[in-house]
Amino acid sequence: MNYTLNSSGLSGEKVTLGMALKRLVPFLAGEKKNVIVAFTAIIVNSSSNLLGPIIIGFTVDHYIQTKDFNGVLMYSALLLCIYAAGLVASYIQTITMGGVGRRVLFNLRNAVFTKLQELPVAFFNQNKAGDLISRINNDTDKLNQFFAQALMQFVGNFFLILGAGMFLLTLNIRLGGAALLPALGVLIATQLLSAWVKRKNLESLQSLGGMSAEIQESLENFKVIVAFNRLDYFRKKFNEANEKNYTASVGAGVASNIFVPIYGLASNIAQLIVLSFGIYLISAGNFTIGLLIGFLLYVNSFYNPLRQLGSLWASLQLALAALDRISEVLALKSNMVVIPSHHVKSEFLMEFKNVTFGYPNGKIVLKNIELGFKKGHTYALVGPTGGGKTTTASLMARLYDPTEGTVVLDGKDIRSYDPAERAKKIGFILQEPFLFTGTLRENILYGNAKYLHYTNEELREILEQHSLSKLLARFEQGLDTKIATSGDAISLGQKQLIAFIRAVIREPEMLILDEATANIDTVTEQLLDEILNKLPKQTTKIIIAHRLNTINNADQICFVNAGEITPAGSMEHALELLLHGKRKS
Amino acid sequence: MAARNPKTGKPTEASLFGLLKPYAFLISLLVLMTILSNGLNLAVPQIVASAVDSFTKGNFVLTTVIIEFFLVALSIFIFTYLQNIVQTYASERVARDLRTDLAAKISVQDYAYIQRANPAKLLTNLTSDVDAIKSFVAQAIASIISSAFLIIGASVLLLLINWRLALAVLITVPLIATVFYIVLGKVRKLFRKQQEAIDWLNKVINESILGSALIRLLNSQQYEYQKFLAANTEAKNIGFSILRLFASLIPVITFVTNFATLTILTLGGHFVITGSMSLGDFTAFNSYLAILIFPILIIGFMSNVIAQAQASYQRIFEVIKAEHRKDTGHLTAKLHGDIEVKNVFVTFGEKMALKDVSFTAKAKTKTAIIGPTAAGKTQLLYLLTGLLEPTSGLVEYDHKPIDQYVKQSLHQQVGFVFQDSIIFNLTLRENIAFSNTVKDKDIEKAIDTAELRDFIEAFPQKLDTVVSERGTSLSGGQKQRIMLARALALNPKILLLDDFTARVDTQTEQKVLKNVQKNYPDITLVSVTQKISSIEHYDQIILLMEGEILAIGTHHELMQKSPEYVQIFNSQQSTNNYELHS
Repeated sequence: MNYTLNSSGLSGEKVTLGMALKRLVPFLAGEKKNVIVAFTAIIVNSSSNLLGPIIIGFTVDHYIQTKDFNGVLMYSALLLCIYAAGLVASYIQTITMGGVGRRVLFNLRNAVFTKLQELPVAFFNQNKAGDLISRINNDTDKLNQFFAQALMQFVGNFFLILGAGMFLLTLNIRLGGAALLPALGVLIATQLLSAWVKRKNLESLQSLGGMSAEIQESLENFKVIVAFNRLDYFRKKFNEANEKNYTASVGAGVASNIFVPIYGLASNIAQLIVLSFGIYLISAGNFTIGLLIGFLLYVNSFYNPLRQLGSLWASLQLALAALDRISEVLALKSNMVVIPSHHVKSEFLMEFKNVTFGYPNGKIVLKNIELGFKKGHTYALVGPTGGGKTTTASLMARLYDPTEGTVVLDGKDIRSYDPAERAKKIGFILQEPFLFTGTLRENILYGNAKYLHYTNEELREILEQHSLSKLLARFEQGLDTKIATSGDAISLGQKQLIAFIRAVIREPEMLILDEATANIDTVTEQLLDEILNKLPKQTTKIIIAHRLNTINNADQICFVNAGEITPAGSMEHALELLLHGKRKS
Repeated sequence: MAARNPKTGKPTEASLFGLLKPYAFLISLLVLMTILSNGLNLAVPQIVASAVDSFTKGNFVLTTVIIEFFLVALSIFIFTYLQNIVQTYASERVARDLRTDLAAKISVQDYAYIQRANPAKLLTNLTSDVDAIKSFVAQAIASIISSAFLIIGASVLLLLINWRLALAVLITVPLIATVFYIVLGKVRKLFRKQQEAIDWLNKVINESILGSALIRLLNSQQYEYQKFLAANTEAKNIGFSILRLFASLIPVITFVTNFATLTILTLGGHFVITGSMSLGDFTAFNSYLAILIFPILIIGFMSNVIAQAQASYQRIFEVIKAEHRKDTGHLTAKLHGDIEVKNVFVTFGEKMALKDVSFTAKAKTKTAIIGPTAAGKTQLLYLLTGLLEPTSGLVEYDHKPIDQYVKQSLHQQVGFVFQDSIIFNLTLRENIAFSNTVKDKDIEKAIDTAELRDFIEAFPQKLDTVVSERGTSLSGGQKQRIMLARALALNPKILLLDDFTARVDTQTEQKVLKNVQKNYPDITLVSVTQKISSIEHYDQIILLMEGEILAIGTHHELMQKSPEYVQIFNSQQSTNNYELHS
């Protein structure tokens, strides 16, 4: 399954206004009331703005010129009321649409994050953390900005244009038609340019994602960069990404800014057309100079909002480009769904039936594996590095699905298990322990609902029951030890101890240790052995290790290499295979 | 705009205008273009008016009007587009240069700083914070400067017409300024909090990606979602607080300016009625007020952008102006390979990681460091590479303190194989030849030594195969050997191994170590390990426990004098007999 996000987007497609807005509509679901309120507010606000000059004009004509100061005061009071109405309306409009924008942002971020949680591990192997972060944080914000700032102006201006256009046509159909001609040109130009502008914006967002990925990778691995004296290299790589982002952003800026001058040009050309054509009409005796002056003013009230639309159109294209990148994530489907349950006959707790597995790059790691793991037994997987041990373990825990064949867990296809149920049955201590920022307590209870609300005292009791107290004692601050994901405040060995505790207190039926104690000293490791031995008798243990003392208690040793898993008869046989056996890795 | 850095108490002046100083030319060009395009816009009504006038007078020539008009329209088009281009160019350049500065600063910081500063926050600094400043340059500067011109011009005109009425109107300006001052003061804190919420989001997303396998194993997606939801809700709430402030700011400003109009109507009306002002002046007053209001509104809208940029710049400024360690080194001599650690203490806060550690390792010898988990073994290696500074004590190479060496020269001679596998999303070649001085010959030697030949040959693209981020397609042992090859490719005089054997199978481990001896005979080796069987023949073994050296000696000496060592030895005995006959 290919989960690579490539952001080719929908750039080839021509976007019409209707289509563009239609794609944004789903995000306004549940916001209908707010949109109506905001829209009413914008009408009230604009009307108050239009009414002001009219009232002033009226007052001047009727009261100031007649020297009636009481009339002036009366109309001043009216004006004050209108301004007050404008004040309230504009507040309502801003706060309502701003709220819509924030909620869209909030919901979108949640949606993208939820989607990430639904996707399997393979997705994360194929995509860069920094780019995903950029999609969740930056791209969603572009949509927020459009909804919060542009949408209402967009709608408001659109209606102003519509109204003014109709007015122009009713006033004089010929002159009105002529006045609207440049607008038609603008419409065509917009159609032609939109796809290009959006593509440029998409490129810019992509390069931002790329840069974010670059920064992320470098900062996470900063110690290697320091120790290998590659700070110059960090700068160079970063500068490349930065330069690329710069070029793409300038490109996007140059493209997006094309609309405003074009709309302005159209506005001026319309004036020129009206002026020349109007004068021609007057000469022909069909029009008057007074009407022409009025007409010129109305042309402005058509083209001024259109000009504003020009800059808004660019922000729409940016929002659409961002939406493309978000939609790309949202459209991904996990191919690791839960299938309907059916019974598979198996005498083992876990059985591989004709399992073949290959990675998306085509490398086959396991071929037609037939293998069973009995309840309560301990199995050791040994073999050279890159032989397929971790892959085998990952299939057992359904981090991946086999390319062919079935993994059977407790008489059922492992794919038919509800994830919660599977997680309860299988404990897996990963080769590279991962801890979350927080405390040791939070980390050992991570994903463990059962003990989550226990007090520290009760939790210590649980740890004692599992003989884990001695391990906890190795942390000076005990359960309250502070932990940071990035950082070396605690050692790899300590991280492995925490991961070990986390897995053991979950009491899984099957516990997989993938080189889980590799960085722990051998004395502590003996302690871990004791703890493992005290696990309930029915616990099946799968141990992957290079250190032989870790595996010599196994009931069965399996040699994993070159796509095959060969059961070794004895420890000696296993060693024979390991040290002198065929190698192909 | 002075703020005090709470940590250092040192005044940190983050002025947006200081930031723009190097771009004075571009900014002036931008302002010029803005004034030109806006000024020309004002000419259009003039042309129309004179055309109408000349038509009524009967001396109207259509072609002249068309040419004149068309030229102006075209100039407006060109200047507006130029203005936009200059604007884009200026803002993107500011953003790019700011990012370069940030990266340059980060790159001279030591490892401890990055840990402290927190990568999630630095990511926000380099993306979202820089973006806020970009918006400021792109949207705010030109409009603010041209607005300021208009405000001053219109005010002067108002004062000239009727100073009493003008003063009554202009009283609103300080009023508006006060409102701005109060709101912006509040909002800057909020914007700062907003960026911190983004840091938090970055962290949660990042951990959910790095820990994706664990999350799926434990089926804890719901829990991750709750963590994300908490961060996202915080971001939303701050967003709403900012929104509430601005939702009232802009209408209030509009209302105040409208109030000025109202003043003109009543007070001006009164003046006209009493005869102290002409109707013509009254009309002019009204139209100039219209000119005055618009730029005030623009500044109102832009205050949002300014406040956000101000908050972001403060955050960036703190990174750029942070103290960094100067490279005090001057030695670039080729190392002989003698290592001496003298009375070194390392403390993290209250925790003592290393206590009075002293030892020497002669050139070309092999030293092993053994000890329980969290004994301080890794820290000791970090000291030897300069990733960590001793709280007190000295680390010396060839009898000269480590800080007398130029870092670059030192890092080229000290190869370090980290315990955790760190693989970059680059080709295998770039991952191995990670330093810039590596020669092809050295890469080949390193590959052979690390037993990576077969592994690399198996890829169709060989060394040019790109490895995925976090090296997820490679096995633990493969990553470990790539890391070894990376260190060996430097052709180092000193090789530091941190638990190299942990993830490599016995057969490969033995081959690799044999290769190292053969191909790099002059190397001084310091190896942290858990496994006694592979270090029995080493020149010295250091037993480290809880940050203290318990014993130093050869295997035989330690077996004689250190009960702790014997305990470790015994813990490995059960299998040693298997390994012996291999």
